[in-house]
Amino acid sequence: MEVVLHLPVVPNVELVAAKAVETVGSALGMDRTRIEATSVAIVEACLNAMEHGGGQMVVRMSTDALGARPSLVIEVEDQGQGFDPELAPRNSASRVHGCTSKRGWGLTLIRELMDEVQIRSNPGRTLVRMRKYVENAP
Amino acid sequence: MNDEQIRLQKDVVAEGYGVISAAGYINNEGGQAIADAATELIGRGCGTLLIDLDGTRIINSIGVSILLEIMEKLLEDNGRLAFCNLTPTISKTFEIMGLVQYATIYPDRDAAYSALIGDRSV
Repeated sequence: MEVVLHLPVVPNVELVAAKAVETVGSALGMDRTRIEATSVAIVEACLNAMEHGGGQMVVRMSTDALGARPSLVIEVEDQGQGFDPELAPRNSASRVHGCTSKRGWGLTLIRELMDEVQIRSNPGRTLVRMRKYVENAP
Repeated sequence: MNDEQIRLQKDVVAEGYGVISAAGYINNEGGQAIADAATELIGRGCGTLLIDLDGTRIINSIGVSILLEIMEKLLEDNGRLAFCNLTPTISKTFEIMGLVQYATIYPDRDAAYSALIGDRSV
């Protein structure tokens, strides 16, 4: 199963990706909590792509049945100027408490809510690859 | 996507206690709508606010950041903020973003009323 979405930068377009996660996740037999965690992660990835990506983004979803644990693999790709993922800080409650700006949670949430996350970024292309297993680890 | 538009109700349920029910997508607009409702209730003397998220299943970090601002405003005035009816994912998101350090989470509205007001019949 594969889904490819070419999404324009328009308000709330991230919900299109979240709806696709709900449909594909349900078809795979994911429980509601895992679908909702994946939905929040893809919403954050799309918001980052819209904010920093400089135009249309591409979202790909595929099922990975290799190995013993089936999973949903999601890629969000944009054409922005890129960044160094190693230098992207993990946000924390203590950092933002009392600060005027409380933004910058996207990557932290993605890493916490998904089972695996890989980020490849170069000028002109950033790819966030996320995996959510269909079921919890035995 | 229209079904994700935030739907709000706000009430003063006892002296000093306000409740906001929010259902829908908590993004920047949804978060701001909740913040506006909270500001109104605080202005009406509510030092304790309960935000009931029954019917909310999708959020984003921008919307939750606005909720953090409400929480800090209440804390500055020695107020209290509580939430109820959170999905496991929203609860985890609140934990990651630090809301649970300063706000109390209740499983449902009855539990919240019982703890905050001491009266289940409100």
